[in-house]
Amino acid sequence: MERRLTAELWDKMHYLFRDFNDRMVHVELNYDFVPDIEALRTVIICAFEKIPVLHSKFVDTKLSTHWQVMPYDIDEVFTVSYPDDLKVAADDFLTQYIPPESHIQMKVALFIKDGKSSLCFIENHMCMDGGDLKYFLESFCSNYNKYVNEGISPINYRTGSRSYDDVYSGFSKTEAGVAQRLFKNINARDDHKFPLTADNIRDTSFIARKKFDEQTLIKLKAKGKELGATINELLLACYFYSVYELAGYPSSDRMMISNAIDLRRHMDSVADKGFTNHTSWMQCSVPERGRDILETVKYVVLSSNKFKNDKFMGLYGLPLLNFGYNILPHAASEEIIKIGYSNPLIAMSNIGVLKGDIFSLDGKEPTDAFMSGAVKYKPFVLLTVTTYKNIITLSMCVRGNDEDKKIVGNFFGLMEKNVNTLIGN
Amino acid sequence: MQKIIDYIDKSCSGLKDNQVTYYYKKKLLDDMSQRATEMVRAGLKDEKVIIDLIADEFGDIKKGYESFLKERKKQQRSKFMKIAFPVGGLIFLIMIFIAYFTVSSFTSAWDKTWLIIVGGIFAMIIFYLSFAINKLCKMRRIFHPIARILIVGCVMLFMVFAFLFQLMMLPDAFIVWPTLSAGVAMALVTDLIFAYTTKQKFRTISFFVYMPVIATMLYIILAAYGIISWIAGWPVIFIGLVVDVLYIISIVMSNMKYFMYSKEAE
Repeated sequence: MERRLTAELWDKMHYLFRDFNDRMVHVELNYDFVPDIEALRTVIICAFEKIPVLHSKFVDTKLSTHWQVMPYDIDEVFTVSYPDDLKVAADDFLTQYIPPESHIQMKVALFIKDGKSSLCFIENHMCMDGGDLKYFLESFCSNYNKYVNEGISPINYRTGSRSYDDVYSGFSKTEAGVAQRLFKNINARDDHKFPLTADNIRDTSFIARKKFDEQTLIKLKAKGKELGATINELLLACYFYSVYELAGYPSSDRMMISNAIDLRRHMDSVADKGFTNHTSWMQCSVPERGRDILETVKYVVLSSNKFKNDKFMGLYGLPLLNFGYNILPHAASEEIIKIGYSNPLIAMSNIGVLKGDIFSLDGKEPTDAFMSGAVKYKPFVLLTVTTYKNIITLSMCVRGNDEDKKIVGNFFGLMEKNVNTLIGN
Repeated sequence: MQKIIDYIDKSCSGLKDNQVTYYYKKKLLDDMSQRATEMVRAGLKDEKVIIDLIADEFGDIKKGYESFLKERKKQQRSKFMKIAFPVGGLIFLIMIFIAYFTVSSFTSAWDKTWLIIVGGIFAMIIFYLSFAINKLCKMRRIFHPIARILIVGCVMLFMVFAFLFQLMMLPDAFIVWPTLSAGVAMALVTDLIFAYTTKQKFRTISFFVYMPVIATMLYIILAAYGIISWIAGWPVIFIGLVVDVLYIISIVMSNMKYFMYSKEAE
């Protein structure tokens, strides 16, 4: 019998984002040993069985949408190969695209070379966001370890509701009432773009990365303490400053960068919730570039504090979206929502610290770990920040050409320069 | 397969060993075997993991037995209904005609006794529709508008019969026609009750639209029965609007506390 799952609000929203990005979330975990391949296969199948949305296809009938659970074969999901270059193989794997109509929504690959391995995951953002993917990986690794070491079946994954309105679960009745009435659309538009080239049919997806060493993080922490800013705000300020410089925008221009925020902060507990999306945008703006990077930091902190002081941060517009999707057939509601929704042209997502111990397999921590958001279609860009073993990795996934690679490279150069200026290097 | 059977036997220990339990175990075995086949097809080889996954998916087997019993009773009832509905309907129809001919022969009131046939058929339709409504209400919300239409249909059938009955039985035919207005009002009220109890979309809009219509019907009925004057009684129509305004005020008041809270929070 056909098994269906409800298409939740965020599933539909990410489906709507098909014009802006490829919706893939990427993970790369590098180890200096080779994990047990057969055990990995078992752990992956168990994950798929426990999280059926991972082996479902998204069905859009124009009137409504749903997930249809599909049969799958582990060989389609998990591949093992022995490439000449681990990095190139991982990048090639990570820049592929899984269409929502595919009957699997996650792919895993293990690349092996000279006793070293690279475990890569790509996943459709419609199934879960970076926050839940991090939790998924934590469960995945813990299940693998218990299975290999203790023979415990690797079936310990969170299951439960995937509904968007779980974000109200941490509120009192009155607060939830207020939050459910936040129909205001706070989606402000900003025309400033990241200066990439025009779209071209020959464009291909690439992932550009930039690492900052441990010393930089220590100095950033100290600077943050001095300025009353978080690491995220400091990096955001550098992001602003670098875009001004890269695109040559007048310093008097007001600019806005959207910052992804995890709405789980409003929830009591996610222990009984399924894997899903609970991410919204916080639109951080600066009135002008500022005379120097320190002034930009001041503007960013001011803007960020305005959001932080709001009890209902990130919840604005959710009831409106829900209303939009509920009253009309799906195709019509998409058109209506597109009118009111403006996808951020420049955005940042700080996935946070990836802890080595939770990603350890067979007691060995990854030598390097990295997570990144979707490949954005020009002119949209998303800068993803992850921190692993006190090393900050900035990444940008873009569908572009060699010229765009150079532009992103220049941007990372400017980021480095501005971070160094900020920390006084 | 053997491991699944062992698991089922172990989980079902304590249940009565009868035919029903056997059916339950058989159903479990079929369902679990199907899931196991799917898992094996997906590439899972470890039998212990398959059993653990299945056990996790199927949950408490003894609790499942209670739902199985309920489901089985429901199926048996549904089987019975499938036969009882057409047979019962046929018997009921024959009885109506017997009643019609008997009453007509004894009373010779052939001009009025046809009401027995009409009333009987209407009652039968309402009876069948009530089952359809019940079934539709248990289905997805997209089917609820059909249930609403059927409810209105039932009310209207009842009121049409009431109209015909009065027309035939009451000497003064003039005061009969307001029954149809009452039918419209009753249909709207019933629909509103259904919309609010089942939390239908746009129920508030239905309320705003229905109230003036219900008030107008009320005015017609009261005036037709001479309770109020046709000329001076028209303000009754505004009762609907007043109710609408009061309802708006109540919504604003209930939302006010949220507004006040968000202002305080700001």
